[in-house]
Amino acid sequence: MTVSESSARRYALDPDVRLMLEVRDGSATAFEELVVRYQVRLVRVLEHLVGRREWAEDLAQEVFLRVYRSRQQYVPGAKFITWLFTIANNVAINALRDRSRRPETTLTGSESGPLGIRPMDRLAQATSSAMPARQIDKAELRDIVRMAMDSLSERQRMAVLLNKFEGMSYADIAHAMELSTQAVKSLLSRARENLRQMLEPYFEDGSLPLANKELSDSAVHSGGFSAASET
Amino acid sequence: MMEPIPQNPHNDDAPLREELVAYLDGELDVKQSRKVEERAAIDPQARRILEEFDRTWHLLDELETPPASDDFTRTTLEMVALAAGDDAAKIKAETPRRRWRARSWTLAGVAAACAAGFFLVASLVPDPNAQLLQDLPILENYDQYREIDSIDFLRTLNDHNLFTKDADDGR
Repeated sequence: MTVSESSARRYALDPDVRLMLEVRDGSATAFEELVVRYQVRLVRVLEHLVGRREWAEDLAQEVFLRVYRSRQQYVPGAKFITWLFTIANNVAINALRDRSRRPETTLTGSESGPLGIRPMDRLAQATSSAMPARQIDKAELRDIVRMAMDSLSERQRMAVLLNKFEGMSYADIAHAMELSTQAVKSLLSRARENLRQMLEPYFEDGSLPLANKELSDSAVHSGGFSAASET
Repeated sequence: MMEPIPQNPHNDDAPLREELVAYLDGELDVKQSRKVEERAAIDPQARRILEEFDRTWHLLDELETPPASDDFTRTTLEMVALAAGDDAAKIKAETPRRRWRARSWTLAGVAAACAAGFFLVASLVPDPNAQLLQDLPILENYDQYREIDSIDFLRTLNDHNLFTKDADDGR
């Protein structure tokens, strides 16, 4: 990708871009600083994306390695965080694709959700039929939220994580996920709608969301998303 | 007056929901934001959906964000240092081969340039021997030709085939 001089100058104001430029010039300290600054955020996003902590850390290391290896070609064409999550998105997509080709035999179907053991199964054992009347405790709420995130497609989940936890704008998410801004708008809208459908009943009266609820993202898998990405 | 929002998200209310979500995400300009606010003010269903979007979004704060492992930074830097060492070794191993390849190309280039130059010069500069070769029959008989002053007389002799090989042999 060619980057104009004016945009390179603009992004050079980003302190992390400046650090990356130091990495390009051979500074190991600057690279360490970037690792320290971004490791928690990167691991968090990747963990919510792939579902396992150890795997997320492995992938985060892979991301940092790619950052280091591409240092000599680095030209500031976006904010550093956008560039970092572009790499993270590609690494995660490849890893998930590889995993889908080689399904793990140690996990059963009900245990193999992206976020590990399905909270739904755990909850089904722990809760009684008198569910709506009971008090929602913190851990249970967390499990429900994880389950709702689990129900999203990988792309929806990535967009939600970047938007919610990294505070990235639609334009930056579009850059990181290599989509159009309109596609990100549609993606996030469907993700928010899915989350609303999953979480709102529980939020209102404590009732469990449907385990196999058909979500509106079916449109994403059946071509609706690709149509959106072309916009 | 705008249509009420249908419950089914598969319906064609997607653009409106996109606007509501974009409004909550601060992605709309002033005019678009005002439009959404006006809609929410008069449409209780739109207002309810906005509230639900907002409420469920805030529930995501419940997701855990534990720190990375204690040795994450160290192992990452070690791994990168190792990879950088491997890269450097690979480049070092490649260097003699690359140098040899570069030299071969340079030599081949010089040879090709010399050959091209030779043929170019040969085609442009006239060969002095070519004229001598062309005049060789005359030079060989120069003494005889000198004894005859008139070119017309020579032509007449030629017309009588006196310069053929048989005539030279005296037959």
